Amino acid sequence: MRAYFSVFRMRLRMETQYRGAMIGGIVCQVFFGLILVALYRALYAGNPQPVPIEHVATYVWLQQSFFRMLTSTDPDLLDKIRNGNISYDLCRPVSMYWFYYVRAMAQKLMGSMMRGIPMLIFASLLPKGWGLEPPASPAGLVLALAALVPGFLCMCALANLTMGITMRTLDPRGISAMLDLLMISFSGNILPLTLFPDSWQRVLSLLPYAQLLDAPIRLYTGEYAPIEALRILSVQIVWAAILIGLGKGLWNANRRRLIVQGG
Amino acid sequence: MSYIEVNGLKKTFTVRKKREKGKLFREKQTVEALKGVSFSVEKGELVGYIGPNGAGKSTTVKILSGILTPDGGEALVGGRVPWLERREYVKHIGVVFGQRSQLWWDVPIVDSFSLLKDIYRLSAADYESRLKELTEALQLEEFLRTPLRLLSLGQRMRAELCGSLLHRPELLFLDEPTIGLDAVSKLALRDFLKWENAEHGTTIMLTTHDMEDIAALCSRVMVLGHGQKLYDGTLPELLEKFDTVRTVSVKYDGALPDIKLPEGISFERGENELSITYAPSVFPTAKLLATLQEAGRISEMTLQPENIDRLIAAMYKEMDL
Repeated sequence: MRAYFSVFRMRLRMETQYRGAMIGGIVCQVFFGLILVALYRALYAGNPQPVPIEHVATYVWLQQSFFRMLTSTDPDLLDKIRNGNISYDLCRPVSMYWFYYVRAMAQKLMGSMMRGIPMLIFASLLPKGWGLEPPASPAGLVLALAALVPGFLCMCALANLTMGITMRTLDPRGISAMLDLLMISFSGNILPLTLFPDSWQRVLSLLPYAQLLDAPIRLYTGEYAPIEALRILSVQIVWAAILIGLGKGLWNANRRRLIVQGG
Repeated sequence: MSYIEVNGLKKTFTVRKKREKGKLFREKQTVEALKGVSFSVEKGELVGYIGPNGAGKSTTVKILSGILTPDGGEALVGGRVPWLERREYVKHIGVVFGQRSQLWWDVPIVDSFSLLKDIYRLSAADYESRLKELTEALQLEEFLRTPLRLLSLGQRMRAELCGSLLHRPELLFLDEPTIGLDAVSKLALRDFLKWENAEHGTTIMLTTHDMEDIAALCSRVMVLGHGQKLYDGTLPELLEKFDTVRTVSVKYDGALPDIKLPEGISFERGENELSITYAPSVFPTAKLLATLQEAGRISEMTLQPENIDRLIAAMYKEMDL
């Protein structure tokens, strides 16, 4: 445990050093947030939807604030795979999967805190219908935070799956682009899942991508009633277990066929 | 039974070639990196492992450090199979890859060390005393709080070595540790390795292209080529086999006397200096020296064995590598 905790702490600290990236990220995500809200307001002006616009704006801001949790893969780890420094991690008395998993946790957690907190403050200062609304109920907030935990575990597991695939292809770009596309489309990052047709939503809400941020956000906005929380959390936990299982399987298979190239 | 027992170790890699014109699929080519290598190493030995690039040296090290799984053969190190019991096994070994880094780039090196302390579950007291010992021996005290990226290559390699030895491994693999180092750093590194080996009885297996490393450190050398072991023994014996040519330079007081040398010995005449290249097997050194001395009053003389790198090159050529 000590090793995992220690590497977690180290990665947290490293993340705080990238202040330039933090400012760039905030500017970019605020810009995206404003554009998306403006876009949906324009859509509502012509063609109102059953979901209130305040919910959509809140949904957009929460998604943008936690964007860093969603898509980022650790550039250090990708470098390690490319340049072979991964050799060193392979001769440590730890589980490789969990060693990298906690690194992803630290990177995503610190990265999104550093960007998300200033952004959420900014978004809550915007006028009604443009910015972040308070949670639907205190219970909703508590349950949303609770749902963020399995959601976060799923996100880290997905990052490790990407990493596992990169170990095979050696180049992360192709596979990352593809997985990020799926992620952005089906996690509700661009188009809130609440705006998809009902029949689509029934399927989408069961996919792993809906467990990440969509489920916690809907508990926050009251889209999902607190009474549904148990079912939602169960689906999330099942997915977390599946994704971790798949990732571990892939990593173990990788270990057996591993080649470290270039001497 | 020896500490390291390797028996018929095999490893093949598949290389996909670029698709040729007119063919539907890319051709695959298998490269046999190791074709059945066997050796054994006793505890406390300092073994050099040499061979040209691509001979399979690093592959052997990677298999023995539990990173790669071989395709065939057996290996037992301290009673364990490296790739089967990886997590338990790696607690007892240390590895330094000369071309890679295990320390964190942006943080002070002491923080990387303290992460290693947690990874290997060292007690605080044990860690402190070992860190003190290593930083003294490697002269690292003044850099402990410096981020890795600000260190020179020589300082970095010393830091890497310190990181690999914190958990007091019984066995240390060094894969080209002196690559790119300046003379002072190389000498310091060699002194340190000798000290670590003598002080703690750490078994060391070293791959290198620097023959001075081998000459200075290793009592035993193994030559690997084309995935096979070609030689296993001492360095002097190895050199003797291929040490065919020597050069003598003599300076005489006054003019160069006329010297008669047997056929087949090449020499260059200078103003008052003579440089002779000869093979001791054909013309014994003692006889040559006597001839030279008879000819006149010698003021200065140097006798040089052939350059060690050239010898190795000749040896690789003879072994068809």
